[in-house]
Amino acid sequence: MAIDFELSPEQRELQEMARRFAKEEMAPKSAECDKKHIWPEDIYRKGWELGLLNMNIPADYGGTGLGELEQCIIIEELAYADGGMAITFGVNCLATQPIIIAGSPEQKERILKPFCSTFNIGAFGLTEPGGGSDVAALKTTARRDGDNYVLDGEKCFITSAPHASLFTIFATVDKSKAHKGITAFVVPRNTPGVTVGKDEDKMGQRASSTGSIILEGVKVPAANRLGQEGEGFKIAMATLDSTRTPVGALATGIAQAALDHAAKYSLQRTSFGKPIGEHQAIAMKLANMVQMVDAARLLTYRAAWMRDQGKISTLESSITKCFSSDIAMEVCNEAIQIFGGYGYMTEYPVEKLLRDAKLTQIYEGANEIQRLVIARELLKRYA
Amino acid sequence: MDVVVCVKHVPDPETKLKVAASGKTYDPDGVKFTIANTYDEATVEEALRMKEEFHFGAVRSVSVGPSRSEEGLRATLAMGVDEATLVETPPGTVLDPMLVSRILAVVIKDMPHDLVMVGKQAQDDEAGEVGSALGEYLQLPSYSFVTGLTPDAASHRLKMRRYLEGGEEVFSGPFPAVISLQKGVKDPRTPTLPNILKARKKPLKKIPLQEVLSKMGNMAGGTTPTSDIASFALPPPRAGAKIIEGQTPDEIAEKLIKALKEEAKVL
Repeated sequence: MAIDFELSPEQRELQEMARRFAKEEMAPKSAECDKKHIWPEDIYRKGWELGLLNMNIPADYGGTGLGELEQCIIIEELAYADGGMAITFGVNCLATQPIIIAGSPEQKERILKPFCSTFNIGAFGLTEPGGGSDVAALKTTARRDGDNYVLDGEKCFITSAPHASLFTIFATVDKSKAHKGITAFVVPRNTPGVTVGKDEDKMGQRASSTGSIILEGVKVPAANRLGQEGEGFKIAMATLDSTRTPVGALATGIAQAALDHAAKYSLQRTSFGKPIGEHQAIAMKLANMVQMVDAARLLTYRAAWMRDQGKISTLESSITKCFSSDIAMEVCNEAIQIFGGYGYMTEYPVEKLLRDAKLTQIYEGANEIQRLVIARELLKRYA
Repeated sequence: MDVVVCVKHVPDPETKLKVAASGKTYDPDGVKFTIANTYDEATVEEALRMKEEFHFGAVRSVSVGPSRSEEGLRATLAMGVDEATLVETPPGTVLDPMLVSRILAVVIKDMPHDLVMVGKQAQDDEAGEVGSALGEYLQLPSYSFVTGLTPDAASHRLKMRRYLEGGEEVFSGPFPAVISLQKGVKDPRTPTLPNILKARKKPLKKIPLQEVLSKMGNMAGGTTPTSDIASFALPPPRAGAKIIEGQTPDEIAEKLIKALKEEAKVL
């Protein structure tokens, strides 16, 4: 049997655990964190105790050591309760993935072990004020100085930066070399010259934090360089290859929540003498919504499975991220429409879902970039 | 000190049940099952807490049920239980609490058991009989509705607590013993992801029901259920609520009072 859509008992157990954590710990605080823009440290700390924060890091270095499919199953459950909290769990994986991909055994031992052994937040510093998608044009510089590099520049819109103790930073050793000059570094927050900007106020995913990282003459030992000079672009792309699919899972979780709210409401709310779900106008919407959510989940599972099988999944993970985040917007938008006036009120849960969903189209590679990647990969087949 | 905890895999309280074709139980088809009975989960938590606090030997979990019960036992392993045993019943097997107690007694006799702990009742049939019956079949004292316990190895006695209406009772008794537990003070721990993964590698032994029944010998009651279920029915659906409408609060209140007096006849 070559194909099997059944989760294994172990995967179901992981899913059940995540669902329970989401329902009991995250969901009750979701609305308040959204309203007041609270970063719920107690929830993240508890998640760390349970192994939800460093799911990607191998067990040998103190992480949970889950495959991509298991991570996606868990992230979807977490996002079902709160997208902002889910991305905070997810971003720790994004921050440390460059170390897993390109770090030497010595670096993994020295950096990942202490990172996992206590509650630590990480952040991935790629995007800059001048642009995110045009990675090759980044302006942060790294100048070699004996056994050190000196980093100067600014990173912005960095998820978790305000609370992170560890950054992976991408800087160029030679601007003239464009993407071939980009180099990756691990920078502890307490390094002199590192300043972290304020936690930005934002539209959705408000239980997460977002801020800038300013680097002024930051001396980083060469021992903290990941891979060789000029390998940073490759490392960043390989990292995003592995984290795009979990973003699809996150968007799927938000969309599933919107669908569930809308379907339940359409059975409760009556108009013209019957539940609105029995009117074709609403029934058609629900039928479209469930198709989209189902397809997003299947795309997510496929891309994650491919990665776990060691297959190259650039095309499939881009399709997953792009499709799932687009349909999350559409499903949330339709959920609001089904709720009518109530849906637009902040007292009801669906408008928050739309605000949360929006970010999934933007971060970890905007959907326009995903489409470029998809088209490029597609055309390779015909060239 | 070794502990045996008995657990039952039961339907999720939020799942919708249907009556089976036999009319004597629910139809397990399409039912979502919880990881384990809530009282059993609390019992596992108390057993593990004692193990950590008093440096016990092993905590073992036992279940009697169809193959799906393995999931419930895996969950106890993920919480920290050392080994699990499933007495696997073929599909369609009819059991009752007394026969389950006899089956458990046969299996537990072969295990070290200074303490045998059970949840006070299962969430599905709510019979609450296994604790006392198991005490009888194992010929051990049994204590019911316990909320917490402290063993004293030197005197071989247990100090136990039990909540009463508006108070708490502290009492003691000898062990080995069978203790049925009420939900305790502490919430059951959530298994960590690494522990869920490790639980897959812990020993889980499956014994066919027939093998256990063949060892039952001349135990009073024998190998058939003691009681027989005559019928099983779901509660009748609740009648729809009535919404009282009106232009002003006074008018609505007046209509409500009238309805309470004349229709509901509660005033």
